[in-house]
This record gives sequence, C-alpha cells and structure tokens, in this order.
Amino acid sequence: MTKWKRIKLNEFKFPKVTDYNKEYLSYGQLPQGVELNKINKTNNNLIIENLNNNITGVGDEFTSHVMANYNTGISLYIPKSTNIEDPIKLEFNMDDENPTTIDQNIIIASANSESTIIFDYTSKDENNFHNGVTKVYAKKNSVVNIIKIQRMDDKSYNFDSNIAYIEGRAVVNWISVEIGSDISGSNFTSILEDEASEGNLASIYLGNGTRKMDLEYTMIHKGRRSISNIETRGVLMDQATKVFRGNLDFKKGAKLSKGVEEEFVVLLDPTVKSHSIPALLCEEDDVQGEHAASAGQINDNQLFYLMSRGLDIREAKQLIIQASFRPILDKIPMDDLRDLILEEIDRRLLNG
Amino acid sequence: MERKKTNIEDIDRGIYDIKDEFTYKYKSDHGLSREVILEISKEKNEPQWMTDFRLKSLEIYNSMPVPAWGADLKDLDMDNIITYIRPNTEMKHSWDDVPDDIKNTFERLGLPQAERESLAGVGAQYDSEVVYHNIRKELVDAGIVFMDIESALMEHEDIVKEYFMKLVPPQDHKFAALHGAVWSGGSFVYVPEGVNVDIPLQSYFRLNAPGAGQFEHTLIIVEKGANLHFIEGCSAPQYKVNNLHAGCVELFVKEDATLRYSTIENWSRNMYNLNTKRALVDKNGTIEWVSGSFGSKVSMLYPMSILKGEGARSEFTGITFASTGQYLDTGTKVVHAAPNTTSTVNSKSISKNGGHAFYRGLLKVTKDAHGSKSTISCESLMLDNESKSDTLPVIELYNDDIDIGHEAKIGRISDEAIFYLMSRGIDEEEAKAMIVRGFVEPITKELPLEYAVELNNLINIELEGSIG
Amino acid sequence: MSKNLLDIKDLKVNIDDIDILKGINLKINEGETHIIMGPNGSGKSTLAYTLMGHPNYSIEDGEIEFEGENINDLKADERAKKGIFLSFQYPEEIPGVTVEDFLRTAKSSVSGKKMGIITFKKVLKEKMKELDMDDEYASRYLNLGFSGGEKKKNEILLMSVLEPKLAILDETDSGLDVDAIRIVAEGVNKFKDENRSILVITHYDKLLSYLKPDYIHILLDGKIVKTGGIELAKEIDQKGYENIKMEFSN
Repeated sequence: MTKWKRIKLNEFKFPKVTDYNKEYLSYGQLPQGVELNKINKTNNNLIIENLNNNITGVGDEFTSHVMANYNTGISLYIPKSTNIEDPIKLEFNMDDENPTTIDQNIIIASANSESTIIFDYTSKDENNFHNGVTKVYAKKNSVVNIIKIQRMDDKSYNFDSNIAYIEGRAVVNWISVEIGSDISGSNFTSILEDEASEGNLASIYLGNGTRKMDLEYTMIHKGRRSISNIETRGVLMDQATKVFRGNLDFKKGAKLSKGVEEEFVVLLDPTVKSHSIPALLCEEDDVQGEHAASAGQINDNQLFYLMSRGLDIREAKQLIIQASFRPILDKIPMDDLRDLILEEIDRRLLNG
Repeated sequence: MERKKTNIEDIDRGIYDIKDEFTYKYKSDHGLSREVILEISKEKNEPQWMTDFRLKSLEIYNSMPVPAWGADLKDLDMDNIITYIRPNTEMKHSWDDVPDDIKNTFERLGLPQAERESLAGVGAQYDSEVVYHNIRKELVDAGIVFMDIESALMEHEDIVKEYFMKLVPPQDHKFAALHGAVWSGGSFVYVPEGVNVDIPLQSYFRLNAPGAGQFEHTLIIVEKGANLHFIEGCSAPQYKVNNLHAGCVELFVKEDATLRYSTIENWSRNMYNLNTKRALVDKNGTIEWVSGSFGSKVSMLYPMSILKGEGARSEFTGITFASTGQYLDTGTKVVHAAPNTTSTVNSKSISKNGGHAFYRGLLKVTKDAHGSKSTISCESLMLDNESKSDTLPVIELYNDDIDIGHEAKIGRISDEAIFYLMSRGIDEEEAKAMIVRGFVEPITKELPLEYAVELNNLINIELEGSIG
Repeated sequence: MSKNLLDIKDLKVNIDDIDILKGINLKINEGETHIIMGPNGSGKSTLAYTLMGHPNYSIEDGEIEFEGENINDLKADERAKKGIFLSFQYPEEIPGVTVEDFLRTAKSSVSGKKMGIITFKKVLKEKMKELDMDDEYASRYLNLGFSGGEKKKNEILLMSVLEPKLAILDETDSGLDVDAIRIVAEGVNKFKDENRSILVITHYDKLLSYLKPDYIHILLDGKIVKTGGIELAKEIDQKGYENIKMEFSN
C-alpha cells in the first residue's frame, strides 16, 4: 500500500458488504435499442466477466474487492448513432441500512452515439463505504460524458476507479467533484487508443476538516493526434490533506498528440497539506505535453476589491472560490444538481 | 552533401577519451571489506575518529538496500569496483613537479591554462588522490583556505570534524554510506567572514583507472557575508568496465553569504554517477547551482538546497543531455524550512539517439516557511522518437502563505521554426543546432566561458549527422 | 524589356490531399512590384509558402522557375540562397537565439561568405539605423516577446540585410495595424530598385496607397482570375470580392 503513504492510509480493513436495496436509477426517454440494466450479484451479467477486468484503478486490492463483492451498478449499451438526450442518473445515498455501495458500471457506447451519465454518491450516516469500478468503452466517433459527484459524510470512505478505452475520434469527458468523505481515493484513467481519440478531465476538490484525498488522473496517449486535457481546481482548508497525481503518458507512435494538465489550488489555512505530482512521460518526440501547477493564497487585490464593495472577508473568499470552481461546475448539465453542489461547498466553507 | 552518421561508439569525445597508461603506487583490492577500509585509512594516516567513521559507514552500507526507484543498478558490481587507487605521485603545488603523464592529461583538459587566465585557485584530482593544489597568494593572505581534504583533515581537523558528513549523513542512502566508508580526495574550502573571492576556484576530478571508483569529498564553508564561486569539472576516458563515482559535496552557506557552485560533468559512458550534493543556507544567504550533466552511463543526481535561515535563497540552473546508452536521472530538491525563503528552478533536458533524460525534483515547503516563494520550470526537448524523456516533480506544501508556480513542457523542435530558419538560408542541420543552442542558452550564459564554448561544441558534435 | 525573374506555370498545390492552388500562372520581371489580392481561403498564403518551399505543401503539377531554373524540388534554404525571401505574417519565436547571431548566420549562409562578428555588427547597425531600430534589439531573442509591429520590423530588417532578388510579403492578415503597414511600406520602398522584385500578398488594399504596384492580380479559389493595374484594387474596394466571384462563377 505504498501508494497511500502520503495520506497515511497504512492498512485498510474492508467493512462487511451488505446489499444495497434502495432505488438508485433514474432516466428520461431512452431511444430504441438502448439497453440499460441494473447489476447485482444475483442478476449477474455475463459481460462483466468477459470484459477486460485487468485494471489497477486506485489499487489492485480495491478493484479486486469490487469484482468479488459488487452489489449494485449498471450496464449500459448504446447502439450506433444513438443520442440519449436526457442524462442517466445514478444516486447512491448510503445510510445505516444500506451502508455499502460496491458498484460495477459498464458503459458501451457504439460508434457515433452520445450520452451523459451522472453518478452522485452521498451518505447520511457514519462509516458508510463506497468502492466502485466504472468502465467506459467509447467506440469510434462517440461522445460519453461521465459526471461523478462525491459528497459523502465526513466519516465515510470513498474509493473509485474509472477507466475509459477511447477509440478513434471518440471523446470521453470526465467531470469529477470531490467534496466529501473522510478518506477518498479516486482514479480516472483514459486510454487514447487511436487516431484523434480525446480524453478530457475537469475536476474540483474541496478539502476541509481532517479529510484526506488522493486523486489520480492518467491520460495514456497511444493513437496519433490524440488529445487530452486535465484541468483541476482545488481548495484546501483546516487540516485537510490532498494528493494530486496527474500523469500524461505519451507512448511511442502517438505522433502529433497533445496533452495539457493544470492544477490550481487555493490554500486557506497554514495547517493544510498539499502534495502535487504532475508527471510527464514521453517516448515519442512529435508530441506536445505541458503541465502547470500553482498553489497559494487568494489574491489580495481581488479580496480587497470585493471588500471595498462591502463584502466581508469570508463572503469575499467564498465568492472567489466559487468563481474558480465555476468553469468546471458549468459543465454539469443539471441545474438542480449544480445548486446542490454549490450549497455543499458553501456549507463546508462556512463550517471551517 | 555527405553526412556523417555518428553514434556512441565513434563519437569523438576528443581530449576526454585519451587514456593514460594505468600505473599506480597503491591500490586496494577489488570490492569492499573492513580490511580494505582499514588499509585505506592507514595509508592516509588518519585520526582514529575518521577510521571509526569509515567503519561505521561500512556497516550502514551493508545494511541498506539498493534504491528501488530510478536507475537500474544491476550491472554495477560493487565487488569489482576498486575503491582506492593512489596515483604515482605525492601532492604538488607546482605543475612542474607533477609527473609528466598526469600533467599532460590536465594540460589537454586545459586546466593549467585556465588557472593562469581565469581562476583564483586550482585543485586537480587523479583517481583517488589530489595531485595538485594551488591558490593565489592574495587569497591565502585574506585567510581563505583551499586545499585537498586530506591535508585539511591534518591542518584543520576541528573544522573538518565539525562539518564532515553532517549534512549528508551516511544513513541518507546506500551510496552516501559507501562514500562515508571509502571517500578519498576532494577539496576543502573555507572563506572567512566578509571575504569576497572575485574569481572562481576550481577542482578537476579525473578518473583514469579502469574499473575504479571515485569518492571525492568536497566541503565548502562560506562564512557570514562572504562570497565564492566554485567550479567542479569531472571526466574520465572510456573503458569497457563500469566505473563508479559516488562523491559527496557539502556546502555551508552562512548568513548573508553567497556561493555559486558550477559543475560540468562529462564522465565517460561507462560511469555510474551516483553523487550526493547538498547545501545548507543560513539567513539571507544564497546558493546558486549551475549544473551540466552530459556524460556517464547512469546518473542519479539531485543537488539539494536546505533553506534553513529566514530570507535564504536558492537558484538551480541545470541542463541534461542524454544520448545513446545513457540514463540520466537528474533534478534538484529544495526544502524551504524558514520564513520568506525563495527558490528558482530552471531545468532543461535534451534526449537523443535513444538516450533517456529524467527530471526528478522535490519542492517541500514546511509549516514554518510562511511567505516563501518558488518558481519551477522544466523543459524537455526530444530530438527523435528513439529517445525518452520524463518529468516527475513532487511538490509538498505544508503552509498556506506561499506562492508556488510550476511549469513543464515536453516536445520536439517545431517544424515551423525549422522552416522559418531555413527560409533565411540556413540549412536544416544548422537550423536544428541553432534552435538547440538557443534552448540551452539560459544555461550556457551562466557557465564560465570555456565551459559554454565546450557545451556548444558538444551540441554540434551530437547533432552532426543526426538528420536525414 | 527587363529580365524575367520568376515564372510560375500552371502551379497546382494540395495540402493533406485537398487542392488549394488549381493552376496558377504568373510572371514577375526584375524591378517589378506585383500584388496578389483575394478573399480568405483563396490560397494566398499557400502560394507564399509554396514559393518558399514549405514541406507541407506538395506541388502536384506545374513549375516554379526562378531565373530560368526549375526550383520545384529545392529546399527552403536553397531557395533563400538563390535570392528568394519570404516575410512571414507570423514569424516564429526562437528562444535563446539573438537577432544578431541569427542574422549573421543567415547572411553568411546566403552570401556564401563567412561574416566576421565585428564586420557584421557594423552592417547591422547601419541597417537598424535606417529602420529606426534601437541597438538593444540586436541582443534580444529572435521574435520572442516582440509586439506585432516589432516582429514586422524585424522581418523587414532581415530583408534589408539579406538583400534578396525577390521579396515575397505575406500580409494576408486583415488585422495588421497602421504602424505595421507603415513599417512594411517604408521598408519595401527603401528596398526597391530596378533589379529587385516584390510580390505582396494581401487581403486588403490598405498597403496599396503606400506601394506603387505595376500589376494587381486577383486570386479566387486557387486561380488568378483577373490581372490589371491599380484600378483593379478600386474595383474590389467598391464591389467587394463577392461580385467578382459572381463574375467568374459562370
């Protein structure tokens, strides 16, 4: 478990997995041919076993735990040239009766299809636990938007592994919002397999209290002219710890590819711990790879400007933080959900 | 036009590759044992505490694992590295007294000429021992001490004992422990309070013996308000067996003092360069590293600046050029341990002909270092797709009142830039060389002139025939 | 009659398999000033880059003759040595290479004579003075952090130092400001003499009031559709390209 030493998670004891019995799936009109099924242990879906399960995600011990214990999730098949206009939404709201969500999600997006899937993880009671694997197969020219919101209770644990295999000219847009749980480990890996494959990851995180998180975003460029973008905005306060790992990996043959990663973190208290490890790995010369990171306090001039307009310091800071999150939150296509996130961010900022 | 295809085997490293016949006065057995170390210590006539220190370090060496990250060290067979070779001469203070073969080597490397023209003092090490040391008289009169470290151990034992391997303890890593056990040669510099040394001092390390290790120790103390520029040069001819360099550099920069430490490393490509360099900087002091890594088969080198006093500064300017058969894992570490400290890192790397350049860095800002600032910039240039280039900077922040910026870029020479230059009548080869020279210019301008010229020559040699 | 310098015969060029130039014919004699005008996407920049030998533009058919010699297969540096110069609309920024070093290398290369640092400094200083450029300019990195006007000036400086026979000015950007236009025009006028020829490629006629062109050509959809004198520019000014397009679409 060397990976976890930065957030001091030395040994993790998995809790007992019980069934997840609540309703979690909602969706609008599904076009003809779309197959959307719930997954559980009894209704075992053959495709799970047959798909490439060899992923590391946040760590082998976690992904193999999902394989052995999954109790919920979906399988989604979208036929060729099909556009699912209304987002499909999975809401997992853990509580004392349904304390564990071990979800296994498979999304197969056929050529020229378009879809948006939202995952919202919340928990009401202490010691709730989420461990999940989401696999996306984006075939040629498809567009898949995956939005993952993690706003679990401060005593809960979250582990989430995501992987997308992206074919030529297909685009996978990941949006990740990390604002909850005591310990959170998440991994988003995009494999840009072919000509002009595109992977984008936009994320925000907020660390408050004594929460710890380890966030890893990986873009593996294999195809020519493949494109990747990692854009992360974060805020840390109180005694929160965050580890950011951004990996741009250009494999030989990924000619004319371009990858950019950025992380900007605002630090609000002297007791925070912020680790950033932005890696650029390159075995192909004809590529462009860039990363940029910055860390510091809120810009004094901005604060002064807002305060001169009558805002107190807390309000001013809150506004600036919201403003920095805005561009990423605006990518979430549901107003009500966006408002819920903003509210949760406000609550955490104010409690700090 | 006829184009020469060059590769490692026939690259003419010119003066660096001329081997001297291997003669020596004393050499230790291959490998490492208590007996070997006792012999080295006895041969050097050392005080008991140093002998004990060596033995203790050996124990630590034996108890520590080879680092599991970075370079593959499995071809480095410690049992076959000769740890100590005393050349066939005593230490001299005049070039005339240095034996001809050794003197000729240094003549070829241009050292005596540089001493006459642009240096305040020179030390020259040949294999395990310093063979020449000289310093201008006015510097001696100002109280500056510049001598080989063995002599310092005799003449300034208290100072050496106070500082020796305190900054890089043998517990630090396996090769630091090895160094503690078998160190030999190196320079000692002491600049008293308020003294400014206007022209640089230089030490040159030449490893002639095949299958040997060089383990020189450099200890520099720049007292309050003093100022020094120190240059370190390294080279060795190419042999078929692997050599090892596990030197150690400890720099103490006191209040308001400034030290610039420039290194041009052009070891032969059978060298494992596992060197440890560290600077401790007091209040308002400044350490400036200028580092060029061109040679060696494997390098793992991360000069570290510990900014211990309020307002201390560090600046790192580095260039790494990895070609065929080379894995150069280099970078820098900065620890901001006091308020209002600042650091700048400017690193460039070039990889070519299957070379692998790896930038590995650490920036750590402790909870006490409020008001600190750091800017890091890493740029990598790939000259073909046989080569590899990686960047892995680690940033650890334990404070909010800081201003940190980091940028990295990787890629190749843009076709448009080449076309632009070619449209002005410059041929493709020269256009590329021009862009590469421009890429490293921020580094070359920090180097002493003769090294800057050398670097440009090296780029020309490396790029010749690389097109088509 | 003066000697022919450039002769373009039925030139066809494509990029990534898309035809851009569809048969261009153009003759330029020594001492002449030609202007090529055309709307966006008509192939103006392609023509400029093709004449300079950009590797991305492949000649499908036709010939480019310079001083009677086919130069289709010559590389950019070889064309520069023959006396062709292209002023770039967006000159590349080359960090670490100073204007002076670059110019000296280029001049030595084009003239085939090694230029001493001191001799060249003198020449450069003179040329810079003519263009009203500050001395510190010479030690700046090539185009790095230059304003639009400075980049333009630098291109003109290059032209006056390299002394080509044919200067091609790619000024297709409609966003060129007044200063830049003045710099280009003054530079061109100083450069011009009975042996040197100029080909200006532009979108608008702003430049025309400064230059005295001998011929104006209109480029539409990869072909020169009309050639005439200064009156052609006025026609475009009044009618716009759309109307001319209509004329030729039938």
